[in-house]
Amino acid sequence: MILAYVSLAVLAIATVYSGIVSFRKTEGATASWIFPKAVGWPTRIVVGAFSLALLMSLGLWLGWTGQHSSLRSSRFLIPEGYTGWIRVEFEVQGAPPLSTEGGEYVLRIPADGILRTSSPEQYGWARDHYYYYSAKGVHPIPDSGETPLIWGRINGEASGAAGKRKYEELFVGTAQQFKNQAKE
Amino acid sequence: MLPFFLYFAAGVITGFHVYTLLALTVYGAPFNSLELVSLLGSVGLLIAAFIGLFKPYAAARIAFIACLMTWSFYGPAIANVVRTKFDKHSAVSANPNNRGTQPFALVSR
Repeated sequence: MILAYVSLAVLAIATVYSGIVSFRKTEGATASWIFPKAVGWPTRIVVGAFSLALLMSLGLWLGWTGQHSSLRSSRFLIPEGYTGWIRVEFEVQGAPPLSTEGGEYVLRIPADGILRTSSPEQYGWARDHYYYYSAKGVHPIPDSGETPLIWGRINGEASGAAGKRKYEELFVGTAQQFKNQAKE
Repeated sequence: MLPFFLYFAAGVITGFHVYTLLALTVYGAPFNSLELVSLLGSVGLLIAAFIGLFKPYAAARIAFIACLMTWSFYGPAIANVVRTKFDKHSAVSANPNNRGTQPFALVSR
């Protein structure tokens, strides 16, 4: 999130500065540190070389991280027939950590729909999976397509007597059920 | 040197931010053409930074146009965030399946 704010701040400054320089009269204007004239060749070469090296490093780093991303997906195990909001609370002291299976975090939601774990919330992008579980086994819940059953997934942070708590919520049900609960 | 550092920083930071959002299309997020326009604006800022070493006045004009291109994404994004703050319920139901796939989402999971 901080990247968005920094981007906006820098972009706003660059817009104002370039706008002022573009529309100010240059005839008779003296050079200053804020409105400088062209720099000498040695400076151009040094700055240009360092900048290109920096850009190439950034490009290589982006390519490398794209190929070696290790963010784990989450597997939500939801009680068979459950309808309504599900809430996962992270970094809860005394709660068990999330287990992993097949490279995925397993979030086994209890019957009341609230899972508390001592594990920290995962940030990044990964494809999560949703399943109904019962004594008979598990079967997948569609989260996309024509009849998805997963809606309104959000994450946030709430303050209370126990301090700040990070959580994630999602709604399980049909589109109509989700719309109905939104009106309530 | 001020214009160079300013345009360069703006180009790199906004370009990186928009690139990360564009990369989400790999995970099924809808493609937003304004993100592409914004990314081109970031590239324009980088070009302006280097031109600024030779011709500061011309670089400022290029940078100004590039900034406007970049704002084409950030402007609607800010409007969307403000609207979401005032009307959280309607923002969720506008694209209820996944908050991270909103076209103008500034925040991602």
